[in-house]
Amino acid sequence: MASSDVAVSLENVHKTYRLAEPVYALDGVSLEVPRGSYTAIMGPSGSGKSTLMNLVGCLDTPTEGVVVVDGRDVTALDGSERTALRGEQVGFVFQTFNLMPRLSALENVALPQLFLGVGRAERRERARELLERVGLGDRTDHLPNELSGGQRQRVALARALVNDPALVLADEPSGNLDTETEADVLDLFAEFHDAGTTMVVVTHERHVAERAERIVHLLDGRIERIEELEGVGEPARPDPASGSRPGSAVEPKGADSDDKTRAEDEHE
Amino acid sequence: MRPLEHARLAWRSIRGHKLRSALTTLGVIIGIAAVIAFVTLGASLQAGIVGDISPDDQRNLYGWAAEPETEGGPLAGAQPVVSQDDLEEIEEFDEVSAAYGYATVPTQAVSDGDEQVALGDGLVATGPSYVREGELAEGRSFEAGEREAVLNPAAAEQFEENVTVGDELVVTTVGGGQTTVDVVGITATSEGLSPFEGFEASPRIYVPTDPYYAEGAAGIGFGDGLGGDPGSGSEAEPTDDLRYLAVVVEAQSAEEADVDAARDRAVEYLESEEADASEFVGGGEDLEVTFQTSTELLQQLQDILELLQNFIVGIAAISLLVGSIGIANIMLVSVTERTREIGIMKAVGAQNREVLGLFLAEAVILGVVGAVLGTALGLLAGYLGALYVDLPLVYPLEYVALAILVGILVGVLSGLYPAWRAARTDPIDALRYE
Ligand SMILES: Nc1ncnc2c1ncn2[C@@H]1O[C@H](COP(=O)(O)OP(=O)(O)OP(=O)(O)O)[C@@H](O)[C@H]1O
Ligand SMILES: [Mg+2]
Repeated sequence: MASSDVAVSLENVHKTYRLAEPVYALDGVSLEVPRGSYTAIMGPSGSGKSTLMNLVGCLDTPTEGVVVVDGRDVTALDGSERTALRGEQVGFVFQTFNLMPRLSALENVALPQLFLGVGRAERRERARELLERVGLGDRTDHLPNELSGGQRQRVALARALVNDPALVLADEPSGNLDTETEADVLDLFAEFHDAGTTMVVVTHERHVAERAERIVHLLDGRIERIEELEGVGEPARPDPASGSRPGSAVEPKGADSDDKTRAEDEHE
Repeated sequence: MRPLEHARLAWRSIRGHKLRSALTTLGVIIGIAAVIAFVTLGASLQAGIVGDISPDDQRNLYGWAAEPETEGGPLAGAQPVVSQDDLEEIEEFDEVSAAYGYATVPTQAVSDGDEQVALGDGLVATGPSYVREGELAEGRSFEAGEREAVLNPAAAEQFEENVTVGDELVVTTVGGGQTTVDVVGITATSEGLSPFEGFEASPRIYVPTDPYYAEGAAGIGFGDGLGGDPGSGSEAEPTDDLRYLAVVVEAQSAEEADVDAARDRAVEYLESEEADASEFVGGGEDLEVTFQTSTELLQQLQDILELLQNFIVGIAAISLLVGSIGIANIMLVSVTERTREIGIMKAVGAQNREVLGLFLAEAVILGVVGAVLGTALGLLAGYLGALYVDLPLVYPLEYVALAILVGILVGVLSGLYPAWRAARTDPIDALRYE
């Protein structure tokens, strides 16, 4: 696969926390995320999902191995270059929403654009538009603590999408949502995916994962297996008993087919 | 990201902690207010004093004797050493146009007919030329040896019906004695006519030293003309023992050479054997005579003022330092408190310099707000002070600009380290921060 078709690639990535005893949060992960693909990441608590997301989102650097985002080797970038890359390319929805407590919903959503130097009026308009899309058009001036958990989640989502990022990373985006809102959020993901955005979503829930094109299963900091799904973007189906395809589990890298040719990145 | 955006965000977080921010700026407010107040007062004082020196005062030398190296304004540590004879001798010199004593005579009251007013120390016994031609609004100066007086407007206005030239007043001394005095002139200003008097306006009556000083100093009151004990009058005749604390020697002109010549001559004489004063000054004696012009005296006064101002500025600087530490401290607390927010901002694309700018902006706003409020408070205090002492108001505008600059500086200095700490926070650690 040509490197321009790859949004993110990880090569033998290790993340080790040196405490009294070393914690191997990630222990030799290799993975390629094609441009415009929709990937779900599943795994038990503590398996390294958030750690992986932080690396892909250029928030963190690996102890060992190479992380390439948008053709650039993240490990070779300095902090400010990583920040720039993150600001332009990545939209992050955190497991804990991470909203600015003193800023209104609208201002929270507009924040990433502030750092890109977008003018105030334009920022606000764009933020309002996104809030309306996540169904919060009537909550723009509320502070985070005046919003429900699900509403905060949606604000965080709107913020992640505001820069039209090429890559959206969502760490358990539906954890706090009722089924109806969850469906709305997942529809929004699908919409962005359809528009060519690369989506990576961490989830514990099978039916959320099944909206993706494939599911990466993590266990103890390693990729246990990669499950390719048919019927991309379809609502949840009955749980396929094993789900895994032979050959995709052990050596995930390069395992995905080239038939997904959503190559052109509209968001440079 | 533009500075305005920084300021906007910073202002939000300042407003988020109103009380804390207010208390933080207090140190800066107090420091700046102190400086501005004293500078305003000082400038007003200076303007008041300098504005009072009249050109024909320039040839007057104001003299007194004190322990060597006594610091202070005119008459500091002065002791009565110069006799009337000494003055008469000095007046004879070619270099000198006039020499006379200066003394305030304590009084109980002054009355115009039935109306009595208190004058306190406002009765000034001195030589006729002390009241200069140009200072008179009306009439003429008194003559030596006559019971005549010149009033200043403040004194004249103390009476219900303004006293004018030709009126006769009765003066009651502390001793209880009474004497009449004819008003022969009114001055144009109520402010002091020489450095001896100080420069603030107050009611004063100028009379000749002969006879008033002699009588006043003798402490037996005025025995003449009003049915007092006639016998006491003779006891009040000037004696050789009568000495002046303060004397005025007038040079022939305001030219520096003439002034210096007069000064040298007077000092030389007073230190010589012939002078009565020589028992206290010159030779091995311990007192030193000083003769200075108003300008020289004012220079001294200004030096003192400056010293005082430097002192206040020093204290204010300490207050500013404390204020800065306060801001730095609160900013550090704020950085720690908002670690998570910093993480969020960085996660969504804020560069280090933007985080730095944000916190720096907050510190600078605190500093500038403190400076502006301090300046306002200081100007108000200076204004009230100047009003109270009755000085012309001078606003030292360059100091206002300086104060704002200092506010910015305080903000930058105290905000730099906390902002730097904030800027280099690792986003991952910050996001994990509980
Ligand atoms: N800063 C850290 N210091 C030490 N250990 C860490 C640190 N961050 C994560 N870990 C460890 O790394 C492992 C993976 O953590 P991670 O947050 O990636 O798990 P996760 O898969 O996201 O779990 P969850 O589903 O509960 O969110 C955990 O065992 C955790 O204890
Ligand atoms: Mg996690």
